[in-house]
Amino acid sequence: MIEVVLNDRLGKKVRVKCNEDDTIGDLKKLVAAQTGTRADKIRIQKWYTMYKDHITLRDYEIHDGMGLELYYN
Amino acid sequence: MANRTDPAAKSIHGTNPQNLVEKILRSKIYQNTYWKEQCFGLTAETLVDKAMELDHLGGTYGGSRKPTPFMCLVMKMLQIQPEKDIVVEFIKNEDYKYVRVLGAFYMRLTGSVTDVYQYLEPLYNDYRKLRRKLPDGKFCLTHVDEVIDELLTRDYSCDIALPRVQKRWTLEASGILEPRRSALEEDFEEEEEKEEDEQAMDAYEADAHEKDYYHGRSPTRERDRDRKRDSYRYHRDRDYDRDYGRGRERDRDRDREHGRDRDRERDRDRDRDRYRPRDEKDYGRERERERDRDGRERERRDRDRGRRRSRSRSRSRDRRERDREDGDYRKRRARGSASPRRRPEEDGGAREEPRKKKEKKEKKSDGTDHPDPEIAEANRLRASLGLAPLKL
Repeated sequence: MIEVVLNDRLGKKVRVKCNEDDTIGDLKKLVAAQTGTRADKIRIQKWYTMYKDHITLRDYEIHDGMGLELYYN
Repeated sequence: MANRTDPAAKSIHGTNPQNLVEKILRSKIYQNTYWKEQCFGLTAETLVDKAMELDHLGGTYGGSRKPTPFMCLVMKMLQIQPEKDIVVEFIKNEDYKYVRVLGAFYMRLTGSVTDVYQYLEPLYNDYRKLRRKLPDGKFCLTHVDEVIDELLTRDYSCDIALPRVQKRWTLEASGILEPRRSALEEDFEEEEEKEEDEQAMDAYEADAHEKDYYHGRSPTRERDRDRKRDSYRYHRDRDYDRDYGRGRERDRDRDREHGRDRDRERDRDRDRDRYRPRDEKDYGRERERERDRDGRERERRDRDRGRRRSRSRSRSRDRRERDREDGDYRKRRARGSASPRRRPEEDGGAREEPRKKKEKKEKKSDGTDHPDPEIAEANRLRASLGLAPLKL
């Protein structure tokens, strides 16, 4: 289990507990449940890399405590 | 300049009509090439020409959430705000299905509740195929009536949040709308009549179906039947005590809608078999477990047995069995009364067993029982989203 921090730099900072073999799509669902936005409106980025929905966190080498950028579609 | 709403336009739902589409999507549409090239300076008439050229509907797609031409035209309609007659014409036209859907979508966004139901429900009868663009860029097949259903029942479609409409039954209750008459109503009535006739027959057939479900289709069926017949004979010679309550079980089996009863029966069967060895102490635990298993097998066999025989015969057999059992029971338990024996105990016992089993199951599968409340909470959320529990 890892804990990921998502920040949208506009006041929304969310800590989400998830498994390493969850996909980004699952992470988006968890974030949506916590923030109240719709899951398909959320975009997770790291600098200019947009993270794709079907790839797991492990494959993106997202570790415990790592910060991701939260954007909206 | 080009993106400002027509100054003569009325406000919809208390806001600038273009604000029905949320900010991010609106900016995306304004930056879209289709919007800039094709949708510049459109009027209601020229809009129809553009709408006739549509060949798919959808929201945004791709990594950068590009809007579809359908979205751009919806936006244009919100901007110029055509008259209601024109929109109704869009909906009523039969030739171009995408124009129809465009009109329906606009009506859903801007129309009053009665208008929405009044104009969109006739479209339920249109079964034509539509092409829909999915968020990942691929196309999928849908139909006009599916799209209309989505518009009327969901509150989000094509990446636009649809304004709230009341449920149909609220409007029917307040008399604003009449109850809906489907075009397929007559067909449904015929179907219902046929179903009622068949239900009487199905009461027996349902047992066969359950057997199929458990044992698979034809190759094994023959073998199972033979096996059951043999073992039935073997077990029948043994204890008539075990046949206790079988009559009651069989009658309950008839009410096949109550699956709950079946579970209770199985529990009772298990309980019964556990109670018995109290008297017969030489039977070890294994024997008891065997009997549990056999109890369940026997139950299934009993259902088949009941199915093969006619009702009247089994009923008389029940009575005979029950009398015999009563006599037997009285002898063994040395009780004078013929009052119902285990009912209160049985129910209490049966209820405890499934509860204990359920608790054990929960600890294993969901993780929602984790001692740490945060993790339990997280697991509950994950379970509701359909994800596996956290691996700790």
